[in-house]
Amino acid sequence: MAEKIGGVFDAFGLKTGKQKFEYTAAGGVYAGENVYAVLQAPRGDATEALVLCAAWVNTEGELNESGVALVLALARYLKRWSLWSKDIIFLITSDSRAGPQAWVDAYHDLHTPPAVASLPLKSGAIQGVVVVDYPTSRGFESLHIVYDGINGQLPNLDLINTAVRIASGQMGVRTTLQEMWSHDNQYKDRLRTMLRGMVNQGLGHASGPHSSFIPYHIDAITLQAYGDGWHDEVTLGRTVESLFRSLNNLLEHFHQSFFFYLLMAERRFVSIGTYLPSAMLIAVNFTIAAIGLWLKSGRLNDKEENKSSDGKASEGKNKLLESAGEVPSAAEQPDVVSEERPLLLSMAFVVATHFLGFMPLYLFNNLDEKNFTSAFYIFTLLNVILPPVLCAIFTKSFAPTALHFTLIKCFSLLLLGMFLSALATLNFSLSFLIGVFASPITFINPTPKRKWTVGAAWMALLQGLTPTTALVGVALYWGEPLSEILKEAAFGWRVWGMWTQVVVWCVWWPAWIIAGVLVAGSWAVEA
Amino acid sequence: MRLLSWPSITQLLLAPLAVASASDYNDYSENLLLKSLPGNSILASFRFVSNGTFDSHHSVFPRSLAQILQQSQTKELHLKFTLGRWDAEQWGRQVWDGRTAGGTGVELWAWVEAADDSEADARWTTLNNALSGLFCASLNFIDSTRTIRPVMSFQPAGHHSPERLERLHLLHGTLPREPVCTENLTPFLKLLPCKGKAGISSLLDGHRLFDAQWQSMSIDVKPVCEESGKCQLQMEQTVDMVLDVERSLGKKDSPVPKPPPIEQLSCDQEKPYAGGDSCFPLSGVTDLPWSLSEMFGRPVRGSCPLAVVPTEEATHVCVNIAEKRSIFVSQGSEERKRSPELRCFTLHENLDFDIVLPELSPSTNLLLTPPPVYASRSLTGHGQERGGIQAVLNNPSSNSTVEFVYLESLPWFMKPYLHTLSATISGKDDGNIIQDIYYRPALDRKRGTQLEVRLRVPPGETVLLNYEFDKAVLRYTEYPPDANRGFDIAPAIISILDSSSQKSTFSIRTTSLLLSLPTPDFSMPYNVIILTSTVMALAFGSIFNILVRRFVGADEVIGGSLVSKIRGHVMAFVAKKRRAGGDKPKTE
Amino acid sequence: MDRRSLTVIIATVVLRLVLFTAFPSLPNLLTNRVELSTPVTSFKRLQEGLFLYTHGLSPYDGGVFHQAPLLLAFFTTLPSNPIVVYLVYILSDVLSAYSLIQIAASGVSVSTPYHTSSRKSSTWPPWAVAAAFLFNPFSIATCIARPTIVFTNTVILTAIAKGVQGRGVAAVLALAMASYLSLYPVLLLPPMVLLAHDSLPAVKKKGRSLGSFAAVLTAVFTVAAAVLGALSWGITGGSWEFLASTYGVHLLLPDLTPNVGLWWYFFIEMFDSFREFFLCVFQLHLAVYLAGLCLRLRKQPLFVITTLLGISSIFKSYPSIGDTALYLSLLSLYRHIFPLMRYTFFVTSTLLYATLLGPAFYHLWIYAGSGNANFFYAITLVWSLAVTVLVSDAIFAVLRDEWETERPEMKGKEIVQI
Repeated sequence: MAEKIGGVFDAFGLKTGKQKFEYTAAGGVYAGENVYAVLQAPRGDATEALVLCAAWVNTEGELNESGVALVLALARYLKRWSLWSKDIIFLITSDSRAGPQAWVDAYHDLHTPPAVASLPLKSGAIQGVVVVDYPTSRGFESLHIVYDGINGQLPNLDLINTAVRIASGQMGVRTTLQEMWSHDNQYKDRLRTMLRGMVNQGLGHASGPHSSFIPYHIDAITLQAYGDGWHDEVTLGRTVESLFRSLNNLLEHFHQSFFFYLLMAERRFVSIGTYLPSAMLIAVNFTIAAIGLWLKSGRLNDKEENKSSDGKASEGKNKLLESAGEVPSAAEQPDVVSEERPLLLSMAFVVATHFLGFMPLYLFNNLDEKNFTSAFYIFTLLNVILPPVLCAIFTKSFAPTALHFTLIKCFSLLLLGMFLSALATLNFSLSFLIGVFASPITFINPTPKRKWTVGAAWMALLQGLTPTTALVGVALYWGEPLSEILKEAAFGWRVWGMWTQVVVWCVWWPAWIIAGVLVAGSWAVEA
Repeated sequence: MRLLSWPSITQLLLAPLAVASASDYNDYSENLLLKSLPGNSILASFRFVSNGTFDSHHSVFPRSLAQILQQSQTKELHLKFTLGRWDAEQWGRQVWDGRTAGGTGVELWAWVEAADDSEADARWTTLNNALSGLFCASLNFIDSTRTIRPVMSFQPAGHHSPERLERLHLLHGTLPREPVCTENLTPFLKLLPCKGKAGISSLLDGHRLFDAQWQSMSIDVKPVCEESGKCQLQMEQTVDMVLDVERSLGKKDSPVPKPPPIEQLSCDQEKPYAGGDSCFPLSGVTDLPWSLSEMFGRPVRGSCPLAVVPTEEATHVCVNIAEKRSIFVSQGSEERKRSPELRCFTLHENLDFDIVLPELSPSTNLLLTPPPVYASRSLTGHGQERGGIQAVLNNPSSNSTVEFVYLESLPWFMKPYLHTLSATISGKDDGNIIQDIYYRPALDRKRGTQLEVRLRVPPGETVLLNYEFDKAVLRYTEYPPDANRGFDIAPAIISILDSSSQKSTFSIRTTSLLLSLPTPDFSMPYNVIILTSTVMALAFGSIFNILVRRFVGADEVIGGSLVSKIRGHVMAFVAKKRRAGGDKPKTE
Repeated sequence: MDRRSLTVIIATVVLRLVLFTAFPSLPNLLTNRVELSTPVTSFKRLQEGLFLYTHGLSPYDGGVFHQAPLLLAFFTTLPSNPIVVYLVYILSDVLSAYSLIQIAASGVSVSTPYHTSSRKSSTWPPWAVAAAFLFNPFSIATCIARPTIVFTNTVILTAIAKGVQGRGVAAVLALAMASYLSLYPVLLLPPMVLLAHDSLPAVKKKGRSLGSFAAVLTAVFTVAAAVLGALSWGITGGSWEFLASTYGVHLLLPDLTPNVGLWWYFFIEMFDSFREFFLCVFQLHLAVYLAGLCLRLRKQPLFVITTLLGISSIFKSYPSIGDTALYLSLLSLYRHIFPLMRYTFFVTSTLLYATLLGPAFYHLWIYAGSGNANFFYAITLVWSLAVTVLVSDAIFAVLRDEWETERPEMKGKEIVQI
């Protein structure tokens, strides 16, 4: 493939380069060869470049026949123009997942030879990428714009707007987003588009060949031909040509404000100012709960320390408590050392649980794909019994009091709130989704008295909200087997540098485990 | 078939000049070389040489430039305006051994006579400002941060007495961002005796020149001395450009490129799907026909009357094309064939001159002479914090080692780490590649980095030269208006050294680079000043508040303010409530 | 040193060695973090300086290297093996911990000749203080990132350790070294003199007024600084270039690389005509606290030193996490006043928030390009604010502790300040 296409580019008088790559992830080998050609801008100086890309095989595994042909034809056509101020790179990758990543890594010299070969030919800083995906030779009905990047990073909204304007305004092609093939531009469809966008963003995987470019601060989109209609290659070609002329005219990068958005329809979006508060509220909820627990733990501590203290002293204490949340030493016992809360044990427990998260992370990133399904079931089973077991070990060895459990919850929620608010700025959707799933944890009461039914109900609810359940949910949503999802995750970790699973296993899962331990702990303390 | 290599052509063309300069002190000559390049491109190289002295009143040497040189005590001057990149892989070696081409933008270097560095700097500034006015270029922006003093890369080309050489200071400055355009061409043409009205310079038209794939204008002034000791100044002006025949001819039909109609396409009929609306195009198989008047928009308007009388050696126009290709010229010119591939013509003073080349199929190209080194340079890494530079230097020769100096002139806000500099051949460094390094680190806001590395590349090998750098954050006033575009980094200069004399014999420029720096928010100065000051005031206030006031028990305060009284009541109430609430579980 | 301290030290040495060797990319990753390495302490710049120095170029005739010449001399004598460098930094941390143990063991934080806290019994034992320093993630990260602030911290702690032992000359010599390395410790001279004077054994104290004692120590300090300067002059081949390139950079802030402090963005956005004025104001602002603290906290000069280090970790020109780590470790000597502090939970959670959000926002600005500089600036503001609150809260608690010692009946009662 690479030989042939390289030959075609050569015949056009373009400089051609090839790149071989080979990745291994979850026991599978992903190898291929990219081929690309550089159209040097006349009078240009290799300072800036645009990329027109087509994958030989698209994300669905179909042969991208018209897409590749279109790129070749455009290479020949655009070469005759003298208006280019930026170089144009025509890139044909052998697949949609590993190929673009290998190429863009090598372009920035951040690849790992010899698995990924260096590029023999480079141009300037890449300013924009358009991927063409047109797997049939029939006409198409609408253009599907795919824009999600790896780890939920998005391209500049202006690029999407430009594509939408050109396609619908100049070419008269309908544009669609997030596989919403029919969109009546009403509340329901807008909401559905937004939610689909959020799920895609939250998962943080590559939704097309363009996704690999976005982490390098390169704005990229995929134009996918969809459906049966009367539009043909010429329409798509003119759209791409127009888009390239727009990109070519850019003097600077796109302005930096428009990277945070949720699209509802092709011309409607929710801006960060509107949506961020929701994720922040969820994150802040945990923090406020943690502060509340801290104050409560101060009172619990008081009670345990000096149950016999007279009203006046405790009144004074409570007054101070009100303003600060730290309890002064008891007036009657100036030499009491233990008036402090027992922080160390609770803190150590929370930190240890978070480190425990590295275990499934390592496991699922390094297992062979054949064992994924069985490993997952074993893990799910373990997951069910892990909180009670952990709790039993913990109570046996350290004999914690209710205060300990309160503090454990306090620290766990504090950490969760912190992680989620930091995450909200990086990947809003992931933070929001985890926040929603984890929000019941706030309401777990560590000491329900003799009401085992409540405890059991909590346990059941928690079991319904585990990361493993979420994984099953994702598998159902995509309609793919579990092992495929896990394979995708392991591939993403190895190749794309996707850290969704880090968040799941090291932030969400530990918080969940602690919630389970708290519920179990209320039985244990009682027993 | 005998092929002429570039050096031999250069010698042929230079030979008459040497003769002329010896015979006459005040003379002018011009010639044009057209050479066909692969991929239907044509190299047009204009060369104008004027000799003269400062004091002569009727000299062809332009007085405007002479005065500037005298004022700034500049003894040798090289000024280059370049646009685009020379594609060595496709076009081979550069004309004139790369002497006349600069890096993208404007490049200027000069030998200034001065007693010490500061005087040299002052004269250099004078020179820049004067040239800036003369050529309508931003040369006045070549300040101390863009000036370097190369040590190994350049040697004076003119004749200087040894005493004077001691006092000469070499200064070099670049403006990679400068867009070269018509306003630079006009003053350039004005320096010529015929001012672009007659002679080959009449072909120089801004529309065509600046539509070229690559173009370069250069001015080199140097003293030339005879053995008798008589000296005069020689100014060599050149304009080199590479024109794409297909694009230049296409302009004739329509200014906006359109896809050709299907009848005009040449399709590969052997493909199974050929016919109908499917076509697998055949291209690059013929040498397109062209003529001077089509390429440049007009024919040559006769010869310049001030130029030296053409002789057998000195001709006006030379065409270097494949032997097979036929050539037709207009009336009134004389052909003087030098070799089967180099055909030269002398022009008549009052007659237009045109050349027409018919189509030739299949395409026949001249054999390319590769340059001594293929060089490319790119940025590595991403993000606006730090990065790296990688230069790929390939020696195409199969038998001779090449030695050259790699010169980088970096702006001060790019801070290279010399300890990360490495030169490797297929991943290994045998310690023999880097011969010598001259490094002058940057000083913030005062001067840029100058790095000269002498390298030796064995035949057929490729050297990777890598180093890392940090990007500085600038004050907000130091950013250009389009700060988010990035900053242009001047091309690296590669001077091939002669193995025996260690003098530069050939020079190559890499492309320039675009460096994106971290940018602050330009709309925020007041907010930042206010917020930061608030934090400082808060710290100052709260600490001194605690330090200077005395502690008193709350119940000891006599006649406390109303607010504090109310607060006390509220607090007591809340505490009571809470105590009641907190007590409840205890009773259970 | 007791067995527990030894255990702590050995455990942290092992931990640091493991971090250095098990994750080979970690040291360079952390070295490149702006929160840990500043232009005046960065290990990468030190390497560049060393490279230029060993190749016969003046490292001070350039915009990259701004560290003291003695560091060059020291590192050139080391073998170039990275393990040796790791060990040097670990050793430096161990020495810091050893000094902290000495300081904690002396009990100066709870009882000075003029003041003995009533909460004396609730201080942490020396090993716990050492552990609080050595296991502090900020200290560990700083050690792994190898900025030269580690050495400054060690020398400052040594100076304090000598000070609490009443060995004034040794203390002041160490302080001169610290000031030589990073300028700002010069502010600690007055409280250090007080500390050394207070800690003198009663026998020696007799007949030595504070004034003469201070004069002698100041003279020693000046001579030591001059000697160090002269040594550097010799090392750099007889040139005073290093003065402008090291202390000049501290004072004039030519390099605006982001850090956790407040200066960089302020002077990026500052109007050119006011730049000098605000440089003066910012520098004077640091010195302004000196007199007030020394007077009001005359009874506890060690706390004055601690507080000054806290303040300079916020307001000096190139602060880093390493400075905050030093302040926090000294603050752990004041365990007994923690109950009197009002905002510990707030400060802790704010610091943790800033620790997480800082790198995230920096990533958004520098790498993702989706955020701008204001994001990271906002976090540095929050960070500075949190440390400010911590510093002022600690002062409040110490003053209250002093006051309660005077008036034991007021313990636990609500108070107001008038």
